Amino acid sequence: MNQIWQMLGDNSSFLLNGVLTTVGLTILGFVGALVIGTIVAVFRVSPITPLRVLGTVYVEFFRNVPLLTLLILIVFGLPDIGLLIPLFWCGVLGLVLAGSAFICETVRSGINTISVGQSEAARALGMSFSTQLRLIILPQAFRTMVQPLVNNFIGILIGSSLAAAVGVSDITNVTQQLNIRYAEAVVLFLLSGAVYLVFALGAGGVGSWLERLVSKSRIGSAR
Amino acid sequence: MYAFSRRGLFYVAAGSSAAVALAACSSGAPPTGTSSGSASGSANANRQISQDAYDAVIKGGPVAGASVVSASPWATKIKSQGYVKRGGTTTGAIFSLKDPTTGRIAGFDAGIGDLLAHYITGGTDVSKLTQVAQTSVDTRETMLQNNTVDIVVATYSITVPRAQKIAFAGPYYSSGDSIQVRADNTTIKSVDDLKDKKLVTESNSTAITALQKYVPGNTPTLFADNDSCVAAVQQGRADAYILDEAILLGNAVKATDLKVVGTPFTVDPYGVGVNKDDPAVKAFVNTFLQKIFDSGDWLKLWKATVGVYVDGVPTPPAIGSVAGS
Repeated sequence: MNQIWQMLGDNSSFLLNGVLTTVGLTILGFVGALVIGTIVAVFRVSPITPLRVLGTVYVEFFRNVPLLTLLILIVFGLPDIGLLIPLFWCGVLGLVLAGSAFICETVRSGINTISVGQSEAARALGMSFSTQLRLIILPQAFRTMVQPLVNNFIGILIGSSLAAAVGVSDITNVTQQLNIRYAEAVVLFLLSGAVYLVFALGAGGVGSWLERLVSKSRIGSAR
Repeated sequence: MYAFSRRGLFYVAAGSSAAVALAACSSGAPPTGTSSGSASGSANANRQISQDAYDAVIKGGPVAGASVVSASPWATKIKSQGYVKRGGTTTGAIFSLKDPTTGRIAGFDAGIGDLLAHYITGGTDVSKLTQVAQTSVDTRETMLQNNTVDIVVATYSITVPRAQKIAFAGPYYSSGDSIQVRADNTTIKSVDDLKDKKLVTESNSTAITALQKYVPGNTPTLFADNDSCVAAVQQGRADAYILDEAILLGNAVKATDLKVVGTPFTVDPYGVGVNKDDPAVKAFVNTFLQKIFDSGDWLKLWKATVGVYVDGVPTPPAIGSVAGS
């Protein structure tokens, strides 16, 4: 037992860096995926056909390719066409691309829950498509999407552990390395599992708080 | 209603075939005609372990007398089982590699397992002597502790922390870490030149601790398997790949744009992992190892596997000479 505390103490900065890398991958991945996912969702509901097709192809590809395959293609495939990206940013890129496809579908279904009466009323007031989206549809849609977006966030958090397989030093990778040195598999993997669990529970808590916050002010359609 | 319209289908097909083409391109440039400067010198291409030569070595190995087997409950169980359950890998070049066309596994580690099985059971069908259960660095100790496997022979370095969980018979092979670089690299000649270079190694390798000692302050990038590390050096993500010499030589055979430089700068002994509960098991395997060291079968196995890629006539290590064994 003492050896375990000794191991954790000696490697505390190493472990901390791993936790910070996981947090960084997840947050950067989620923010990027949210931005791109929303854009692609707008493409998918737009009246311009080429944009709709582009959005559909994007989602069908990145949603159906396994994240690990995508990461391996980015880390080992891109250099062959001349793009050598640092490993951490490869991880972020993979998470953004895969996460954005899932978030796009979440946003799109949120947009679809807004009754068509809102869109018609906005058009009647003379609003263009983009103004309509920006001022009326998306604000209401995001209110209904808080819990599904928390789901997506947790998906990105768990997906970030795959970056360990391509060399990124996140908490999963760090615990694997410590296991090689100290052969304490159970303790170390329980530790990395606990890190993910705490982070995911935190995300769930933030999600619930956000949901309560936005439900206080509703200009939205009757439910 | 959104269904898979023809137009959508076309765009999806175009997108996925572009991705497949990209993946095909990334499988590496075709090999050049010149051979790399590996330690074994001439004609590197097409060196392969001969399955027939390997089988002959196994069948020629010693067989234990009936009294020896019955004196050991562990060996008796294996004999009635008919085969040895070996924890190891099927994707390790030179040590334990499965031929996808025949399904047969051959290599130095595979040979130690097969020779032990032949020693206990006396069986002559080499393909049935052992059953390999895939282990990774994370699962080796656990699989021995709960007896999922009888032995682990998997380039398993003997270390004191590991020896507290399981027992090591041997060592049966003494290797060392060496350096692999691109064939056109002239700046790295030995471990002293590694100071400010980008290094890469396997995440399951004892090379990590070696690098901490010889190149302090330089943290290597870590990948899960050998092929990823090779790709990292070929693509320029790293300048040098540090790993066990025999594996690097195996890489240089397949990838002629890489070479191995310098001589091994560490000593890395491999052991046979067994369950720790009954000390007689370790003693049994040590007796077997000493037998094949003395009879010349160890050298025959080496010649049929590692010796295909490395020149020289090694001597077997001394059993019990390493801390933890």
